[in-house]
Amino acid sequence: MKIAIQSNSGEHRFDCRERETILHAGLRQGVNLPYECATGTCGTCRARVMSGEYETVWKEAPGAKRLKPEKGDILMCQTHPRSDCSLRVPSQIAASNQPRPAPRRGILRDVKKLTDDVAHFNIDLSEPMSFEAGQFVVVGTRDLTGGRAYSMVNFDPSSAACLDLVLKRKPGGGFSDWLFAGRNGEEVEVFGPLGRAVFRPSEGKDIICIAGGSGIAGMMSILAHAVQVDYFRDHKGAVFFGVRTLKDTFYLDELSKFVQSSHGNLEVVVALSHESSCADCHEKYPALKLATGMVHEVAAKNIADRCENAIAYVAGPPPMVDGALRALMMNGLPVGSIRYDKFS
Amino acid sequence: MSWTKICDASDVSANSVKKVDVNGISVLVVNYGSGFRVIPPLCPHMEEPLEESGIVARCTLTCSKHLWCWNMQTLEMQGETEKPLKVYESKEENGAILANIENELTYEFEDEGGADDDDFFK
Ligand SMILES: Cc1cc2nc3c(=O)[nH]c(=O)nc-3n(C[C@H](O)[C@H](O)[C@H](O)COP(=O)(O)OP(=O)(O)OC[C@H]3O[C@@H](n4cnc5c(N)ncnc54)[C@H](O)[C@@H]3O)c2cc1C
Ligand code: FES
Ligand code: FES
Repeated sequence: MKIAIQSNSGEHRFDCRERETILHAGLRQGVNLPYECATGTCGTCRARVMSGEYETVWKEAPGAKRLKPEKGDILMCQTHPRSDCSLRVPSQIAASNQPRPAPRRGILRDVKKLTDDVAHFNIDLSEPMSFEAGQFVVVGTRDLTGGRAYSMVNFDPSSAACLDLVLKRKPGGGFSDWLFAGRNGEEVEVFGPLGRAVFRPSEGKDIICIAGGSGIAGMMSILAHAVQVDYFRDHKGAVFFGVRTLKDTFYLDELSKFVQSSHGNLEVVVALSHESSCADCHEKYPALKLATGMVHEVAAKNIADRCENAIAYVAGPPPMVDGALRALMMNGLPVGSIRYDKFS
Repeated sequence: MSWTKICDASDVSANSVKKVDVNGISVLVVNYGSGFRVIPPLCPHMEEPLEESGIVARCTLTCSKHLWCWNMQTLEMQGETEKPLKVYESKEENGAILANIENELTYEFEDEGGADDDDFFK
């Protein structure tokens, strides 16, 4: 099927396969359509269908809340065309210098619990994938409608045959329950890499990471990349990682190793929202500092002298992300230096 | 001309916003430190209530939803913002914020009776 898009920056044409979303089709062919979550929650990929037949994957998608379906308004990440379609997209479509995403098949491996409600899993890919640190993939299974976004934890400078991912269990959540049932060997569909909240050493800035729960995933990839290129020889880094209690922490061993190879330039603070008191640093991992409070509040108190010439990465649940964005801006960080993923 | 008192300047602390209803019209008062602005209460991007999503810092109003932002002094769009902010004419007099509210300012999210679809691009 042929898709024609009129945007504020001109016209774009591409093909769309059977059962492919318009967003995936465009991105796969290098048309840099607007998106953030790629999974129906943020509304950024809205468009208006001027002609053509289509089918909506997820009618109740929160991102569609303010659209007018009777006028043909759609979310491109939730729409399968049923014929040639002509669309209008109310924004600019700029060229991209990121790796083009593509669909791949994958096999789930090594599903293991890290805490009561956090699980690590690997996906062995049918074809290796190059991605930037901080990017994510959309994972689908034949048992569930719609994809779920997960950020890569690992970083591979060439291309990765296997993705390391981490999931924080959402009570009653479709993919959460599915994965926690133990799914080693199960086949999944993977679309990626996606996401613009990426780390590029050539930017040469100090880095600030503020993560709530599994929001630490992309930060791990960023830190892995930074350590691989010895970035902390010349730049400073600060990571604020929020969980509820000490029992809910994970990746401390890895974080501690990052600190140890940072020439003293990386600080990691684990913020505990549901502990009333704690030691200054972790008993087993003394390289990691501890603090009590919500992670964005802990970060707010500690970033005043870190924002000059810094780039900040923020990921986690939306209220935490909004709190962190506020803290960063209050400390003078311009929006162009803030990159975020909202996990809703 | 209908200059109306919106609130006292002291009701809105520096770097914050406050939603006020004046004669059935909701407006948002923005105190950006060195001055005030009176604007419609919704983000022109996707109608997010700026009372909750608006962050004021360094003379800039940013909507935390997708980070559209505007310089409050010059009203210049910043970063990837694609729509200008509408503002009511306003002034500060004897500690009060006044705005000239002729008609309610809205963005073209709604298009009652319009046969053309151009609202989508406005
Ligand atoms: C950019 C990004 C990166 C993320 N990275 C991570 C990460 O690294 N680790 C992590 O734990 N979480 C991450 N998340 C959150 C994750 O994508 C899921 O929302 C979360 O795991 C809950 O999924 P669930 O299936 O258990 O819950 P559910 O409530 O079943 O589903 C949650 C999400 O799945 C999609 N969905 C649900 N039902 C449908 C349907 N009928 N049709 C289409 N789509 C549907 C929607 O996007 C919905 O928000 C990320 C989110 C985003 C946007
Ligand atoms: S990108 Fe489609 S709703 Fe977020
Ligand atoms: S709704 Fe305000 S920036 Fe998108």
